[in-house]
Amino acid sequence: MSASTHSSVLKHHFDNLEQQHSAEKLGMWMFLVTEVLFFSGLFVAYTVYRHFYPAEFAFASSHLVLWIAGVNTALLITSSLTMTLAIRAAQLGKRSDLMRWLVVSFALGAGFMGFKAFEYYTDIHEQFVPGSMFQTEYARAVEHVAHHSAAAGDHGGIQHWAIELAENNKGKDPNSEGYIFPERVQLFLCFYYIMTGIHGIHIIAGLGCIVWLMLLTKCDKIPPQRYATVEIVSLYWHLVDMIWLFLMPLLYLVGTGVKGH
Amino acid sequence: MDAHDHKIEDPPTLHDVDNPAKVFTVYLVVLGLALANIFLFKAGLGPITLPVQMGIATVQAALVAWYWMHLRRKDTIITLTAVTSLFFVFIFYVLVLSDVLTRTGGGL
Repeated sequence: MSASTHSSVLKHHFDNLEQQHSAEKLGMWMFLVTEVLFFSGLFVAYTVYRHFYPAEFAFASSHLVLWIAGVNTALLITSSLTMTLAIRAAQLGKRSDLMRWLVVSFALGAGFMGFKAFEYYTDIHEQFVPGSMFQTEYARAVEHVAHHSAAAGDHGGIQHWAIELAENNKGKDPNSEGYIFPERVQLFLCFYYIMTGIHGIHIIAGLGCIVWLMLLTKCDKIPPQRYATVEIVSLYWHLVDMIWLFLMPLLYLVGTGVKGH
Repeated sequence: MDAHDHKIEDPPTLHDVDNPAKVFTVYLVVLGLALANIFLFKAGLGPITLPVQMGIATVQAALVAWYWMHLRRKDTIITLTAVTSLFFVFIFYVLVLSDVLTRTGGGL
């Protein structure tokens, strides 16, 4: 290792690389703590509302696209594996392996966002979005159900979730057993879009960091002594993965076809 | 070994390098638990669904943190940092839920 590489790797205010690596990792861990607390606020709010509105949350969850969530879970877990292998390649000075694992990690993360974008597109196409889209579609369904039998196959292009919700609530008083409040269904959707949206922003930030690592690797600026640079990015990536491991069951596995209180 | 014994040109020590077999084993277990979560949900667990799901997710997160985020290296200050975050999350949940869930009438 040349003297010039020493100066580029070891910062002047550290005694040695071990001390520098510990400081870098501690800095990232402190950031991760703030991230955990940030997401905890969302999880606590979600827990409270799910406790009070279980039927509405189960109804809304059952109309999300579970197979996309399953594929995305596999993509993220696999990307965490490849990031761990990237650290190993960096430690052993295998530059081509490092680049390969970073490219694979990026592709898997980008794949996650691609599927997420497709899922959002599907949800928007089905008007399954809180606000005017939801309210308009539900109002159409209520009107349709009031004048047609449930057995009628043609729903005039009205989305299946709206027909199901309108049929469930038909002739029921809002205070009666089995009524599903549309506004509470929208509340779940608010949690869904906010939580997955913020998580998606974190994925995009992580992808940016991986691109930065790829550029450093291309310029041969990650010698084995500097492997901690890869490790701190991987710490962030693993945390984003871990948050998804909790988000997935909370949002997609609440209940299938559960109706009423 | 004292930290000052290291020279700045030292490469990573071998004990810091992950064993690929262990890395892949953790991958298979975490992926298997994700599949188990979906299949158990499909099977229908009733009222214990949420605790089981969160239990599985916690085991997955613990495996990722211990092996892939290298908490197993027993760097005291980093372990303390990680545990502190869990402690704050615990306080957060306990304080909020103990208020909300014990309100008269049981509603918001």
